[in-house]
Amino acid sequence: MQMKTIQFMPQESKTPFIPEDAAEDCAARAGIYRLLSGAFAEEPGREFLAALRQGPALAALSEMGLKFGPDFTDSPLDQLAEDLACEYATLFASPGGCPPVESARRTGRMQQEPCFEVRADYRRLGFLVQGGRFASFDDHLGAELEFVAALLGRAEAAARTGDETAFRRLDKEIKRFWSLHLGRWARGYARLVARATEHSFYREMARLLESFAEDEITRMGLKVDDEDGRKIEPQAQETEGLQCGGAREVAAPQPGSELPASLLAG
Amino acid sequence: MLKMNRRTFLQVSGSTTAAVAVAPKMLAAMELDGGGKDFSPVNYAERQAVPITCHFCNIQDGAVAYVENGRIVKLEGNPEHVSTRGRLCAKGNSGMWYTYDPDRILYPLKRVGARGEGKWKRITWDEALTEITQKLDAALKEDPNTVMLKYGRNRTGGAIDRFMRTLGSATVVNHTSVCESSKKIGMEPTWGPDIETPDFANAKYILNFGSNIMEAAYFHNPYSQRLAEGMAENKAKLVTFDVRLSNTAGRSDEWIPIFPGTDGAVALAMGHVILRENLQDSDFIDTWTNVSVAELKDHYKQFTPEWASKLSGVPVDTIERVAREFATTKPATTYTYRGPAKHLYGSYNEKATMMLPIMTGNIEVRGGYCMPRGMGWPQPQPEPPKPAKASYLAHPDEYPLAGHKVSHLTPFWIAEGKQKINVYFTYQDNPVYTNPGAQAVWGKLFRDEKLIPFYVSMSPFMGEETALADIILPDCPYLERWEPESMPNSLWPWLGIRQPVIKPLGEARENRMILRDIIWKLDPNGSRGMKQYWNFKDGEDYMRQHFDNVPKLKEAGGLDFLKKHGVWPIYGKLDPATGKIVDKTGRTIEPEYGLHRKEVPESEMAGTTVGHDGVIMKNGKAIGVKRKGRNYVGFPTHNRLINVRVDQWAEYGFNPMPTFKQIPWHKDMKDDELILTTYKINVHKQSRSAAVKWLAEIMHSNPVWMNTETGKKLGVKTGDLVRVESKVGYLVTKAYVFEGIHPKVVAIPTAFGHWEYGRLATLKLKEKAGAFGAQDDPDLKNVWWEDRGVHPNAIIPAVADPIGGSQGWYDTVAKVTKAGPDDKYGDVQGYWDKHVEAFKETMRYAYTGDLHRKMHPEMASWAGPESVKHKPAGGH
Repeated sequence: MQMKTIQFMPQESKTPFIPEDAAEDCAARAGIYRLLSGAFAEEPGREFLAALRQGPALAALSEMGLKFGPDFTDSPLDQLAEDLACEYATLFASPGGCPPVESARRTGRMQQEPCFEVRADYRRLGFLVQGGRFASFDDHLGAELEFVAALLGRAEAAARTGDETAFRRLDKEIKRFWSLHLGRWARGYARLVARATEHSFYREMARLLESFAEDEITRMGLKVDDEDGRKIEPQAQETEGLQCGGAREVAAPQPGSELPASLLAG
Repeated sequence: MLKMNRRTFLQVSGSTTAAVAVAPKMLAAMELDGGGKDFSPVNYAERQAVPITCHFCNIQDGAVAYVENGRIVKLEGNPEHVSTRGRLCAKGNSGMWYTYDPDRILYPLKRVGARGEGKWKRITWDEALTEITQKLDAALKEDPNTVMLKYGRNRTGGAIDRFMRTLGSATVVNHTSVCESSKKIGMEPTWGPDIETPDFANAKYILNFGSNIMEAAYFHNPYSQRLAEGMAENKAKLVTFDVRLSNTAGRSDEWIPIFPGTDGAVALAMGHVILRENLQDSDFIDTWTNVSVAELKDHYKQFTPEWASKLSGVPVDTIERVAREFATTKPATTYTYRGPAKHLYGSYNEKATMMLPIMTGNIEVRGGYCMPRGMGWPQPQPEPPKPAKASYLAHPDEYPLAGHKVSHLTPFWIAEGKQKINVYFTYQDNPVYTNPGAQAVWGKLFRDEKLIPFYVSMSPFMGEETALADIILPDCPYLERWEPESMPNSLWPWLGIRQPVIKPLGEARENRMILRDIIWKLDPNGSRGMKQYWNFKDGEDYMRQHFDNVPKLKEAGGLDFLKKHGVWPIYGKLDPATGKIVDKTGRTIEPEYGLHRKEVPESEMAGTTVGHDGVIMKNGKAIGVKRKGRNYVGFPTHNRLINVRVDQWAEYGFNPMPTFKQIPWHKDMKDDELILTTYKINVHKQSRSAAVKWLAEIMHSNPVWMNTETGKKLGVKTGDLVRVESKVGYLVTKAYVFEGIHPKVVAIPTAFGHWEYGRLATLKLKEKAGAFGAQDDPDLKNVWWEDRGVHPNAIIPAVADPIGGSQGWYDTVAKVTKAGPDDKYGDVQGYWDKHVEAFKETMRYAYTGDLHRKMHPEMASWAGPESVKHKPAGGH
C-alpha cells in the first residue's frame, strides 16, 4: 500500500542540488565566516595579522573592495598588534564601548535570552563554546560566526557525499540561525563599528561583515529586520515643564481671557 | 423549574454566608502568600529561588533572587529573614542591573595612555597578577607598609585584613570617617557598642535627631517597618529635628527645623530640663553609670534652654516641652543616624543625644534604646599575625581617639610625605567622588605618579577612582559572590550569607579569589609563609571554614542550611496578614531585653575580685558589675558601666563629660552666608548606583534646596541657575525653592553628577555614535532625561572631628548667588591649594593643634599634648 503524503505547508521552492556546486559554495562562504570570526573573536594575534598582510591575502581582500589604510598595511607587526589590542579594548572590551555580544546589542544587557538560546542551539548540534585567550559569551559575534562556519563545513561534507537530506537540514539550520540571531543584529552592528573605530582594520572588517551579511540574507532568501543601529527618532520629553509633584507649569492666562492658557492662540 | 435570577441569587448568597464561611477551601490567592516563590509569567513554571543577603547598600536585607533560564529576573525580600521580613526596597529590587550592566568591566585592564585618559588594553589574569606581584615584591622589600589598601564597603568577613596581614602591611584604610565614625566614637567609650538598636515598634515616644530613617538612614528597611508599626499600632509620637523636611521629617508628628550642628546643644538643654525638673531615672543613673545624679545635675546646670535656643533657633518652650514629653512618656528612644555626628566635634553631639535615653532609664527596655544584637563566626585557620610596624595613615598620631581612622585626610598626609606609598589597592571605594574635595583632592592624588606610583583597582565598574587606575581587576557585583553576613538591623541576632546566584560573567572573580590569587602568585610553593593563610579552593570552601563549626548552626546543617535559607536562625513564620514573624502558636515573637541585667554564671565567679565600685574583675579584665547583691554582666565597657564621664577623653584635653562646642566659623556668619549640607535619597546609594537603570530613571538630578525666604532675598525661584561658592570652590546648579528647609541652609543630595561610572551615569548619550556614545545602544537610547545633576563634594572642604575623626559634611559655609553670564549648569570647580589650606586649618583642632586648648577653656588644667602617657588601641 502506498501512503499518501499530507501537505500541511506549501513546500519551499528548492534550488537544485548540485553536489559539487553546493560543496564549493559552502566552503567559500565558510572561509569568510572564519575570517570575520577571527577578526572579532578577540584581539588579533601577530600570526593572524601577518598572514592577513601577505600579498595574496591583501590582494584578494582588495579585489573584494576592502581598502585598508597604512595603519594596517604599513605599521610594524608588533606595533600593529599592540594598536589593534588597544582598539579592541576600546571598542569591545571596556566600559563605554559596544561589546560584540548579541544580548548587549539587542537588549542592552549582558547575558540575556539570546545567550541562552544560541547555547541551546550549539548544544543541540554538538558544539560548546570554549574560551580563547579570554572567557566570553556564547552569543559573542565570533562564536556565532564560527558556529555558522562549522555548519557550513558539515554541509560541505554532506554535499561531497551527495547526502542531499543532510545538506538541506543543515541549510535550514543556518537559515534559522540567521533569522533568529545573526540577521537581527550583525548588519546594524557592522555599521556601528565602521563608524566608531579609528583603525582601518576594524573599519574594513566591519564593512565586510555588513556586505557579507546582506549577501547571505539575500542568498538565503530571508526577510529579517536588523534591530541594531536603527535610526534614532527624537523622543518627546515627557516631563518637560513638570514641577515638583508632577504639576505642569502653565503660562499665566492673558488678561481679559477666561479661556485656559493652553487654548489661547499664539 | 428553579428560579434563576439576581433576586434569588442575592437571597441565597445572603442567607448562606455562615455556611460558606466554614466550607472547605481549595484555592489560595498567591498574592496573599508571604513570598519566597515566583513563577514565570510566560509558562508559569516556578523559578529557581536563591536566598541571599542583599548588598545594594549596607542595610544587609534578607533577599531572594529568582532565576529563569539562567538569568536573574527578579529580586524580592526573604520572608524567613527576621529583620527585613520579606521586604526589599527599590534599590534591592534593582540589583540585577549591576550584573548585566553593558558598561561593566569583565576583564583585567591595563592602562595604556596617561592616567585617566581612558585608554586600556585587555590583559590576561596571569599577566595582571605577574605585574602586580612584581610591584608588590619590590614594595615589600622596601617596607611592607608602603603597600596600602583602602576600601569603601568591605563585607568580605575578614579577607581584606587577612590579605594585608599576609603581606605584613598595617596600611589598611577604610571609608568610615566620611560615614559615621564620630557616632561610633561618641558611643563606644560610653556604653561599648558603636550603634544603638531602637525598639521603634514598641516605643511610645521617638526623638529623631537628623536621621532620615524612613528612606535612607542605617537601617532604613527594617527600621522604617518598625517605626511605622510603632506610630500606627502603638500610637508612638515621632519628633524630628532636622535642617530639612526629609521624608521622615514630613511623616513625623513634629518637624523642628534646627540650625546645623546644634543638635547636641538642644539635647543638652533637654537634659537640663529633665534634671532640673527631677524627671530623670535616678535609680538607673546611680546603678548603671559612673556618675551620680547630683554630679549630673550640677554638670547640666550650664546648658539652659535659653542658651541652646540662641544657638539652634529652636524656641525655649519647644525644648522644654519636648524634654518633658520625652522624660514622661515611657518607653522612649532617640535615634541619630547620622546628622549630629557629621560635624567638627560630632562625637560630643552624639554623646549629648545618647544621654537622653540614659538619664531617663530607657536603656535596654522594651520600646527603648537597646544595644545592637549581632553574631560572629570563626575565621579560617591559620591566621596571619598582626603587622610588625604601625602605619601612620591607618592611625595618625594627631587623632589617637579616632579608632575608626581619619581616611578623608589621607591625600594630604601622603602629599606631605607622612608615609610613602608604592602600591595602592582599592576595593569598593570611590573617594574621587565620595570624599570631601572629590576630584580636586583625590583626583589630584591619583593622577600624581610620584605620590601613587602603582595603583590597582578591584572593581566591576569604571567609577571615578577606577578610571585613574594602572590596572583594573574585574571584581564581581554582589549577586555573584560569597560573603558571610551579620548585621544588627533588628533586635534579633542572625547569621546570613551572600551566595552566587549565577557564575561570574566574563572573567570577573570575587574579591577573596583575587586576593588569594595574588598571594599564590607571590608565594607559589609556600616557601615565603604566605600561602598557608590562603588554603581554600573557592569561595564556598572559605564559607565552610566560617560556618560549618558555629555551635547550633552546625547541628542545623552549617553552610548547607544557609545555602538553603540564606539566614539562621529562623525565628518563626512571616504572617502575611500582619507582616510580622510569628511563632508556632501564632504569637508575634518578642526579642530579649535587658542584656546588661543578665547575671554572670556562678561558674564564672570563681577567682574574681569585686572592687569598691562593684566591678567584678577576673584575670585583669572586668567581667561584670555587682549591684544590689547580684552579679550582672553589665555593659561591654572597660568597667561594665555606662561611662557618662569618659576619662580617656580628658587625657587628651577633651571634656570627659557631655558637652557642646559651637562650630567656630558658624559664629560670625554674614547675612548672605548659608550652610551647605548634603543628604542621601531613597533610591540611590552614595556613589555606586547612578548606572542602575531603574533607579536612574526614578531620580537622576539634584537641584539645590533653598527656603522660600532665602530665595526671595536672593531673587531666585525654582529652576533658576545659581552659583554656590565655598572657600574651596564653586558649582553652578538649579535651585528648588520651597518651605521645607531651614532658611540658613541649602542642601544638595549626593549620587548625581557623575563624570565616570558608565554612559548612563554620565549621560554620554547624545554624543557621536560609537565608542563612548550610547545612541546606538538598544536600551540607553530610551533615556529621556538630559540632566545628570551636579555633584557638590569638590566644594566641600575637609573637616575632621578631633575626637572621632569624622568629616564635617554639614559644616560648610557657602554663598549662593544668581548665576552669572559665564556660568553654566554643571560647572564644578574645586581648588587643591584651598583644600590644603582647609586641611591645615582642621588639623589645628586636633589635640596637638593650637586651637584645641582655645576650644576647651574648661580643660585649663590639662597639661598639654606632651602629658599624654599612652595611646589607646585602635577601633575596628
